[in-house]
Amino acid sequence: MSVLSDIATEEIEMEMTPMIDVTFLLLIFFLLTIKFKVLEGKLMAYLPKDIGVNATPAVPVEKVEITIHIPPNKAGRKVYAAGEDKGQPWVDATRRFEFVGREPLYQIGPHKTTKLDEVEKRLLDLNRKDPTAPMTIDCRQGTVYGDMVPVLDAAVAAHFSRITFVGEPKKAKK
Amino acid sequence: MNINKHDAQVEMEMNMTPMIDVVFLLIIFFMIITDLTQQDLEELQLPMATAAVEDKPDPKVIRPIINIPQSGRMIVKRDEYYDPEKDGDDMVRLERFLVDQANRMPKKMDAELGVRLPDNPLMIRADKNTEFKYIQRIMEICGKQGIQIWKLELGAAETEENRKKREAAQE
Repeated sequence: MSVLSDIATEEIEMEMTPMIDVTFLLLIFFLLTIKFKVLEGKLMAYLPKDIGVNATPAVPVEKVEITIHIPPNKAGRKVYAAGEDKGQPWVDATRRFEFVGREPLYQIGPHKTTKLDEVEKRLLDLNRKDPTAPMTIDCRQGTVYGDMVPVLDAAVAAHFSRITFVGEPKKAKK
Repeated sequence: MNINKHDAQVEMEMNMTPMIDVVFLLIIFFMIITDLTQQDLEELQLPMATAAVEDKPDPKVIRPIINIPQSGRMIVKRDEYYDPEKDGDDMVRLERFLVDQANRMPKKMDAELGVRLPDNPLMIRADKNTEFKYIQRIMEICGKQGIQIWKLELGAAETEENRKKREAAQE
């Protein structure tokens, strides 16, 4: 009985060191892997309020229209991260591609250019002439998001406040 | 004079409990934050824009964010609402989602049209190499009766120069 009573009075201590080791390892792991994604910037634009983008009736308003064309010979070559497109699933990062030698053509009224700084200058001039003029961006077939954003960026920088988009008219089904 | 002297026989023990508490709290904090920050935003390469303004999202404001990677898939909070390879022209799921979001948004009377329109924006974050036709499809759906979301926010990366300027202004 004396042995049992001795055990009862003995202080039991938990070995904390391994737990602290593991905990610190976890903490360091989370600190290193966390990526605080700051919400990036944004550009404001508007859609026609009445109906779908393709069905806006022509209204007699003086507006600035910029069209982005991708000429077939200037669409650029797709360079895949894996070297070539082997039909990998999209989740695979090797399916990622970049365009090499891409040269979009921008058209403002009758004026055509491939240079963005010219677009910027022209938009600034147009906005100076009529600061309230609305602007539409018309992205033609083959355009990618990265072709449109610099144009929208130039329009925002030129202080256009009413920027809308024109959609590619759908081909009628035969 | 013996007061300052250590008694070599006495075992000194540090109380570890508060430290373990804090460390566990930190781990839980990081685990939750990692999940929350990455829920809305997919890993994309956004195009650069010098005129982009900093986005300060208000969690109380209903603002759906549609992510479109190069593949053209449309992802909202990790859920896929459209996959061009599987769905083709069928965008019903995305349309239903936008109808639901538009219904939840506060409405404002439009003086020109005489109808009440959703007053919150829709954010589109697309990869720089995503075909614009996918964004146009979303725009078409936004214009449909019952949705009529007309405010758009297009995701773009801030240039390094702009970021520095903004940070300097904040300081």
